[in-house]
Amino acid sequence: MIKVGIIGCGKVADQHAIQIQRIPGAEIVGVCDTEPLMAQQMCERFKIGKYFTDVKEMLETVKLDVVHITTPPQSHFELGKTCLEAGCNVYIEKPFTLNTAEAEELIRFANQKELKLTAGHNAQFTHAMIRMRELIKKEYLGGKPVHMESIYCYNLGDKSYAKALLGDSEHWVRRLPGSLLQNVISHGISKIAEFLNCDKPLVIAHGFTSPFLKSIGQGDIIDEVRVMIQDDDETTAYFTFSSEIRPTIHQFRIYGRTNSLIVDDDHQILMKLVNNEYKSYARYFIPPFEYAKQYLDNWGANFGKFIMKDFHLPFDAGLKTLIQSFYHSVLNKAPLPLSYREILLTSRIMDDTFAQIKNQRFSKENGV
Amino acid sequence: MTVLDVGALSDTGRNGYIAEPEERILVTGGNGFIGSRVVRTLLSYGFKRVRCLTRPTSNSSALDAISKEFSRANVEIVKGNLLSRDHCMTAVEGVSIVYHLAAGIDKTFPGCFLNSVVTTRNLLDAVMKEQALKRFVNISSLAVYSNDKIRRGGLMDESCEVETNLVERYDPYAYGKVKQDELVLEYARTKGLPYVIVRPGVTFGPGKTKIPGRVGIDTFGVFLHLGLNNRMPLTYVDNCAEAIVLAGLRKGIEGEVFNIIDDDLPKSGEFLRRYKKQVHRFMSIPIPYPAFYLLNFLWEKYSKWSEGQLPPAFNRRMCATYFKGNTYSNQKAKVLLGWHPRVGITEGLERFFGHAREMMGHK
Repeated sequence: MIKVGIIGCGKVADQHAIQIQRIPGAEIVGVCDTEPLMAQQMCERFKIGKYFTDVKEMLETVKLDVVHITTPPQSHFELGKTCLEAGCNVYIEKPFTLNTAEAEELIRFANQKELKLTAGHNAQFTHAMIRMRELIKKEYLGGKPVHMESIYCYNLGDKSYAKALLGDSEHWVRRLPGSLLQNVISHGISKIAEFLNCDKPLVIAHGFTSPFLKSIGQGDIIDEVRVMIQDDDETTAYFTFSSEIRPTIHQFRIYGRTNSLIVDDDHQILMKLVNNEYKSYARYFIPPFEYAKQYLDNWGANFGKFIMKDFHLPFDAGLKTLIQSFYHSVLNKAPLPLSYREILLTSRIMDDTFAQIKNQRFSKENGV
Repeated sequence: MTVLDVGALSDTGRNGYIAEPEERILVTGGNGFIGSRVVRTLLSYGFKRVRCLTRPTSNSSALDAISKEFSRANVEIVKGNLLSRDHCMTAVEGVSIVYHLAAGIDKTFPGCFLNSVVTTRNLLDAVMKEQALKRFVNISSLAVYSNDKIRRGGLMDESCEVETNLVERYDPYAYGKVKQDELVLEYARTKGLPYVIVRPGVTFGPGKTKIPGRVGIDTFGVFLHLGLNNRMPLTYVDNCAEAIVLAGLRKGIEGEVFNIIDDDLPKSGEFLRRYKKQVHRFMSIPIPYPAFYLLNFLWEKYSKWSEGQLPPAFNRRMCATYFKGNTYSNQKAKVLLGWHPRVGITEGLERFFGHAREMMGHK
């Protein structure tokens, strides 16, 4: 039995609780929120033993193996440290911390206490991403990738989140060092970070405000970002974040020396770009059938999983897989589902991106 | 919009009200669909100091227009967030009646709870410190009731049970409203809050264009007509606003609950027929209640078996609440509030369809 606590009882906490309750042997024994009403409602709806408004009181009262931190990111570092001090392993929602310095400190402290940490990069564990990773492990790419493209779009027209953000200048998202970007782009960046070798890649970032946001008077929010990344041994990557591209796509393309792969996370499709050379006109007539077969195979894989009740919505499925793998790692001293290197690298690329965008904005505003 | 004639209200007399025209009144959500009509009705009744709490980024052009129309009155627009206790304190300062219409519209349980219950708690805490308070009018919803123990076609009125299984019903909005009502009752019990609860039915009128969910759904790409011969618990927005205003003003109704529904409610089929004729034509498939109930039963079972692979959005409780078909009464509101729907249902529907048609044209 693994005993779990949750700090922060908002929308994300609900998603965690639903997935945790699907994991055999896991039990949520306490939830905590500084707002007692929020803690109470979550406790009642999920039939959880106790609720608290003070983290230390929860950690002292109920013995927890793992604590999930689903609060706004400004509190991640302090809460993470408090939980580690109390002897708990910690799952911290994305973005992991406000900056890399905090992330490094937290990881160092966890190692010192011989406890484990993970970050909420659940998009790494969607059905299609898992299938991609299996192929790469089998050397499908033919070694380290040559290039990657991660595109992560976001629809600001969606009422539930964007209205809360745009409508409230005091919203915690606006007070993050990277504002809206910091709360969203880690999903797309971590896909790239997984396949980089060096600790400090070259990052060249450019950010700007979309015409849509400008038109509604929100020119202070950057919602269009293009980033180029290069590691020491010449693997390169492009990261694109856009609020304007339609459809709102979430794709990862990874190009190898032998073959390449495309993950379409929106439709849970994994496409192989096979290095087959056909002669003459055959190259125009045979590959379409091969691609059609691949799409059909993807349909079969998805539908097969659905029938076997193993095809929950991608981010929910990813969340469950990540949580379950983390618990497995905690209980069995197995490797972590996300390496600390990947978490730190994601954080560094984000820090560099925000710093460059900030400088660009400063230069533009001051005519430098 | 209906222009109220103050003279027409003289039969009720000022003595029937708990507040004088000079007293300050707060309307939360004053810029909303119903809220702006509540403000207008209050001004029509001769109240001179109406404060509206609106979201910081909301467009206040509707309120500005109302303010200009009633230039002798003072319509004060306070931009703020009910999640801020400070904003709540500012908003309630010196008010004698609070009309709490601000609502949490969200697809999630925590979102609805936060924006309905936590906000209401902040407002109540602020208002309890306000010496001048005479009444807190809490706007709830007809969706809070359970018709579990009411047969098909049976009467749903204020005496009916409130739903206690809203998580199973997968109804975050109603969950937020039930919890909000509970909080108001708790403050009344423990802190002596003077309150009235108003539960409007399906509010319609110019400003909305969508077909009410109680008629049917288009989730599956084609419109499923589920209401069929059910009476629709409609209330035209101006009628509803006047009932809400009266709930804040009438003497001797402390602690009462009022359901607000118009007279001569149309059947769902009739509504849909007229909508198609007057707004735009589209294909719909009539689904009898037993068939939809069976689909909900199967969906619910599958959702449970598959551990939420399909969320339990379709379930028997939801199906019964919205499509079982009940009759409704507005007698209590008529008797105790002295309210009568001024805009007849036919006229109200004409205005609604006309607006919807215009909006469709703009698209």
